[in-house]
Amino acid sequence: MSALLSVRDLTVSFVTRRTSLEVVHGVSFEVRENATLALVGESGSGKTVSAMSILRLLPENAVVDPASRVDYAGENLLTVSSARMRALRGREISAVFQEPMSSLNPVLTVGEQVAEVLRLHRRLSVRNALERAAELFDEVGIPEPRARLRAYPHELSGGQQQRVMIAMAIANEPKLLIADEPTTALDVTVQRQVLELIARLRSRHRMSVLFISHDLGLVGELADDVVVMRDGVVRESGPVERIFRAPQDAYTRALLACRPPLDSRPRRLPVIDDFMRSAHLNTAPLERPAPGAPVVEAKHLRKEFRLRTGLFRAKSLVAVSDVSFDVARGRTVGLVGESGSGKTTVAMMVMRLVEASGGEARLEGTELLGLTAAQMLAFRRRIQIVFQNPYASLNPRRSIGRTLAEPMRIHGLGASEAERYERARTLLDRVGLPREAMERYPHEFSGGQRQRIAIARALAVEPEVLICDEPVSALDVSVQATVLNLLLDLQESLGLAYVFISHDLAVVKYMADEVLVMRAGEVVERGTPEAIFRAPQHEYTRNLLAAIPRGLRSGN
Amino acid sequence: MVPTLAGVILLVFLLFKFFGGDPSQILAGQVASAEQIDAIRRELGLDRPWYVQLGIFLREILTFDFGKSWMTREQVSDIFLTRLPATLTITVPILLLEVALAIPIAMLVAYYRGRLLDRVIMAVCVAAMSISFLVYIIVGQYLLGFELGWFPVQGWSDDFWRNLVVYAPLPVLLATLVSLAPQTRLYRSFFLDETKNDYVRTARAKGLSEPAILRRHVLPNALVPVLTNVSLLLPGVFVGSFLLEIFFSIPGLGREIYIAVNRSDYPVIQAFTVYLAVLTMFINLGADILYRVVDPRIQLR
Amino acid sequence: MAAILDLTPENAWSALWRRLREDRAGAVSLGIVAAYLFMILFAAAGILARGWSQEVGVPYANPGFLGERPNLEAALRKKTERKGVAPDLSKVDPLAPKYSEWERRTQALRTVEPERAMTLPWGGDRWGHDVLAKAIKGSQVSIAVGVAAALCASVIGTLLGAFAGFYGRWVNDVLEWLYNVFTSIPSILLIFSLAAVLRSGPFANWFASGIWTVVIILAVTGWTGMYRLVRAEYMKHRSREYVLAAQAIGASATSRMFVHILPNVSHVILVQLSLLVVAFIKVEVILSFLGLGVPVDMVSWGTMLSEAQTELVIGKWWQLAAATVFMAIFLTAFSMLTDSLRDALDPKLR
Repeated sequence: MSALLSVRDLTVSFVTRRTSLEVVHGVSFEVRENATLALVGESGSGKTVSAMSILRLLPENAVVDPASRVDYAGENLLTVSSARMRALRGREISAVFQEPMSSLNPVLTVGEQVAEVLRLHRRLSVRNALERAAELFDEVGIPEPRARLRAYPHELSGGQQQRVMIAMAIANEPKLLIADEPTTALDVTVQRQVLELIARLRSRHRMSVLFISHDLGLVGELADDVVVMRDGVVRESGPVERIFRAPQDAYTRALLACRPPLDSRPRRLPVIDDFMRSAHLNTAPLERPAPGAPVVEAKHLRKEFRLRTGLFRAKSLVAVSDVSFDVARGRTVGLVGESGSGKTTVAMMVMRLVEASGGEARLEGTELLGLTAAQMLAFRRRIQIVFQNPYASLNPRRSIGRTLAEPMRIHGLGASEAERYERARTLLDRVGLPREAMERYPHEFSGGQRQRIAIARALAVEPEVLICDEPVSALDVSVQATVLNLLLDLQESLGLAYVFISHDLAVVKYMADEVLVMRAGEVVERGTPEAIFRAPQHEYTRNLLAAIPRGLRSGN
Repeated sequence: MVPTLAGVILLVFLLFKFFGGDPSQILAGQVASAEQIDAIRRELGLDRPWYVQLGIFLREILTFDFGKSWMTREQVSDIFLTRLPATLTITVPILLLEVALAIPIAMLVAYYRGRLLDRVIMAVCVAAMSISFLVYIIVGQYLLGFELGWFPVQGWSDDFWRNLVVYAPLPVLLATLVSLAPQTRLYRSFFLDETKNDYVRTARAKGLSEPAILRRHVLPNALVPVLTNVSLLLPGVFVGSFLLEIFFSIPGLGREIYIAVNRSDYPVIQAFTVYLAVLTMFINLGADILYRVVDPRIQLR
Repeated sequence: MAAILDLTPENAWSALWRRLREDRAGAVSLGIVAAYLFMILFAAAGILARGWSQEVGVPYANPGFLGERPNLEAALRKKTERKGVAPDLSKVDPLAPKYSEWERRTQALRTVEPERAMTLPWGGDRWGHDVLAKAIKGSQVSIAVGVAAALCASVIGTLLGAFAGFYGRWVNDVLEWLYNVFTSIPSILLIFSLAAVLRSGPFANWFASGIWTVVIILAVTGWTGMYRLVRAEYMKHRSREYVLAAQAIGASATSRMFVHILPNVSHVILVQLSLLVVAFIKVEVILSFLGLGVPVDMVSWGTMLSEAQTELVIGKWWQLAAATVFMAIFLTAFSMLTDSLRDALDPKLR
């Protein structure tokens, strides 16, 4: 099987008025005919830029080095005329993007948008184009295809929107489909369906797929060849079996190993540095303290939102109905569920950042939900929270030192500002950041570093309980392990009780001693991680488990 | 809408009651005896408690009867109705022209964004906006009317068509020219904001040309902020451009209000303010309904 | 796919300063605006244009660059000072015998009237005031009004917008009602109504002198734009995680509103403030033109333009030119500075 498209020495830079930054340095790879090539890398690896260069869909300030080549059907796509490029796009090479909601035009019906690409490259009448669009909808698995033609994008679910994008992309039987993280923005249960759809379409239409992802485990089931990128260069490439079974490059090995394993619970997760330095991995099993008296108890928590639908009418939305749990010192309770399950709302209620509609939350016996703001202030020392988005949880206009000193000042810790700053430096040591960070600003740090600063801020008041709301979900896989290790270290040395929230079952299984599975505001199953994993009772739990990528098709 | 209307009425009433001068003194003039002033007070109901006066005010609004202008003794409602046509003859063409011209120019500039044409046009717009409207009128009237004689310098007639064709063109031309610059800049920003959206990237990936993308994808989306902008401009259509009306001696609402202000003719000012506020609210309501047509994501409550 | 550049460590303000300097158009605009600022300060201190209200030239003195052109009006004035022989009115007028005596006495008292210049650098107006001095003084007044009004409107709009956006619920409802009331009334009408009442009402004497009437009128009618913007920003930021984190550590509501959120919103406020300055100057010019603006003893670009209309018909164009040029240069430079400011503060380009 010969190469359908080959990228050679691709070098791309972004320029602003004065500076120029090279983001892709001489990248080369080949897409074979009738095969799937996975382009894998974390954020900043240059994988999306490389793929978008093929279709010349880069932003206006991107500059491609003239020595770069993208060879397709005997032409260098980087130098062909705009007219030729437009003829190829949507017909021989097409694309599907990450966010289907914003990738579709909100004021046109989905039928019109699919028909448009058909009419653009073939001489079809409007009626015939819509007919063909309905057939495509059927092929991609959209129920009631004919009726759906007249729907607007916002009337469809995320999964259906993505199917519409796929229909648009395959409408003209392209030879190459570029899929840029097509499932990342979708719910876990829908992800698998869309992946299977793409695989099915690929073999049926005999087209090639260039699949971009940050998750190496995900592509193991789908790809024939894999290219691993980091910091704008190719680290390793080859057939998928070899990559998974005998990875040569340290980074590839790190990517494969950094995910929390599903069958064991080691003391420490391996991190990228361990592989880069070939350090010895500590695979001894994690020891957990025995369950003791609960320090946090939540009983029958309930949250109802009232939405005003008219001047005098209102609708109520139940976000959380009857959630109870408890956790002892040094132990972790995990809440797992997809977006909309209410797990974050539970955390917000316990922290009194959102007012509960019903239920109780006790901290060492004291009921929290009825306290006034002034009374709550004292308890805010004892229970803290780390948020999901490290880019939004730190005030961009404040230096790190001020951010860390503020909670201490509010709660009267430290006799003077100077002493507080000294304590802040100690905190930075504790989370593994340099002391110079004190004068810096959040934008100078990476996501993982910012999350560590957020953890340091939470620890500044010496709490007893830490709520972790998806603390690693926004981080790259290689960085997740670092933060998880840090959290475990801190729990061991400080005896903190954790409430750990995530949509990622593998991460929750690793971190938690007891797991609650949530769906649409209710707890559908609870138990130890092993019990949930080996013998899931509820159908939803089984779906969640099935959606976890297992690596290579034949099992890792 | 009702609470807002109540607020407007209250605001106007309080403004004139507590910050305005004693109407009886203003009406009576400089040399009036105490008895004359008292008589006027009784006639206007100013000797009654404030909530009764508010009630009188409300009744006037609802019956569309503000009494007579203090100056001309004309019924205020008559003034309103007779001056409105002149104002509309000027302002409606201006609104139509400035929107109709700004959209294609903005699209053109958006297509050439960043390039020389874009920057030159934008710089010209900024410079044009830095010159006062007054200067445009003064110079325009002088050059085009007085010196070159292409248009009459001033004037109005009783015939609608004569007004539209002979007397309106110069003021309409000047006002359109002045508002073209800010409108173009505004609409350009609408278009450019839309081009940053992901669906434009999808359209490119389908193989559409840039002009086609602007026409078929960007324009329908950009119409939403354009609609907002037009609904903000519509009330101004009814207020009229008092500057134009003063300079060109056009008997419209704007000039009427200006005269009333100069003579402290409170009934006229109060009535116009309240009615135009009501008109604005209706226009906003209409705009809300129109949004539903333009943007399918919006649902009426 | 945003292109994020890695900058050397610096905080927001030094980054802003650097980017403004790099933008050539922005730097030039900044220079021009700074020059105006100095000019205004000197004028306010009395160093420049102190004698603007003195009649130093002949009426309609020609501008220096036009040289000696025939000046009918000045000539006319001289003519009317010609004295002739008065007829004898002693039979009818009882005061007639006294005239010659009074004539002698007035001759003894001589008022030293300074020689009136025939030409002035930028010409003279109807009474012989130096147009250049008027333009400089007028710049001071118009710009001062614009800036003061913009600051007042911004303070009002920011405070109200912060409360409405942060607290939501009934606070928001009340403030939204207030906003709707103010925006339902077309601003021209509100300005006129305010002008009418402030001139003839009980407060007329408070504001009779000085610029504060105009400033108040502009601020009261112009706060709504800033309110809308700040409210939207506060609504966006109040549920951002750094604010929730501040709440979680126990920061008070006031602290969250003004110590945490406000610095993150300040760039938006700054740009809107600059836009208000430009808008308010233009409105002030129109109001002063109509006599509803600054009091009669002050000069602004608007008052200069009000004289210009009649002057143009008799061919005296320099006052119109002076006011227009001074105004146009300042507003163009300020607008371009605002554009550069907006670009420099755009986080996406950082």
